[in-house]
Amino acid sequence: MSADTTIYVIDEIVALPGRGREVLDAYRERYAPGAEARGMTLDRILVSPPMWLDDDTNTILITWTLKGAPNWWAMSFRSRNDPAVADWWAEVDEMIVRRSRHFATAEADMAEITNV
Amino acid sequence: MYSLVCLVHFVADGGRDVASALAGLGAAVAPTLPGVFNGGDLIAHFDFADEDSYRDMLPAIDGVLHGPGVARSDCAFYRHGRHAAAEPALASGVYRVLLLSVDRPVGAEVLHRFESEMVRMPHYIPAIRNWRLSRVIEARGERRWTHVWEQEYASLDGLMGPYMLHPYHWARIDRWFDPECPDWMIDTRLCHSFCTFGRGVLGAQGGGSEA
Repeated sequence: MSADTTIYVIDEIVALPGRGREVLDAYRERYAPGAEARGMTLDRILVSPPMWLDDDTNTILITWTLKGAPNWWAMSFRSRNDPAVADWWAEVDEMIVRRSRHFATAEADMAEITNV
Repeated sequence: MYSLVCLVHFVADGGRDVASALAGLGAAVAPTLPGVFNGGDLIAHFDFADEDSYRDMLPAIDGVLHGPGVARSDCAFYRHGRHAAAEPALASGVYRVLLLSVDRPVGAEVLHRFESEMVRMPHYIPAIRNWRLSRVIEARGERRWTHVWEQEYASLDGLMGPYMLHPYHWARIDRWFDPECPDWMIDTRLCHSFCTFGRGVLGAQGGGSEA
């Protein structure tokens, strides 16, 4: 396995109607700095539909990257040993319909990442 | 069959007689290897034919665990759960045990899904030679341990390499353990411990799979 394989951490968040911008602002201000300190690099933020809805839900896709499974574990150990991270996600749950988190690689890297 | 696994923490400069005392009670005993997390200084693993045998033996075990040289211990008594032994004769391998506590309110269906995913790990990670996943009947220590996840590897490399690095572990299973994931349901305080007993403790359960 290459320690250089790019791993994507993807948050998919469906905000409560009319609260999409608030959710993303909070994510940027209160979550992103800690995530970067834990070793993740912000790749992109996508919003669907690409306008803030007043009376319906926006879906926000936030993608982070890091290199290799050892760095994934290092990031994850830091987050689970910081109660503030769990507290943050509990707060977010008040503003959203649902969320999911996915861990992925490019299809071209699947053979490499499973070659352990 | 039933088992009791104890992760024993020694007091400073203590524990010299603990291993022999527990071995004298029938346990497989070995010092933990570097790299354990909340895994203690010593692992003791007992097998019992039935729960009564455990109850009969427990006062003597407690006498050791509450005696000189022992600071504290994390213990789990359990009836053998799903298991398989791909290499039942493995005697020189590394035994690893994870004590975990499902401490969030989840339904039986979710618990079943978690357990079903866990027992698929050896399918994707063949470095896990022998294994067993069991629900805990009686727990002691820092948490109310609910599950015991045991594995045997041919060497430490299997645990540190394939087990930790395979994406089925970190990109699939670990969401149950990760406070950042919506499926999180397991206390972040875990006991991750491993040792070399010099004999197998999982292979004796038979080579067939009950997964």
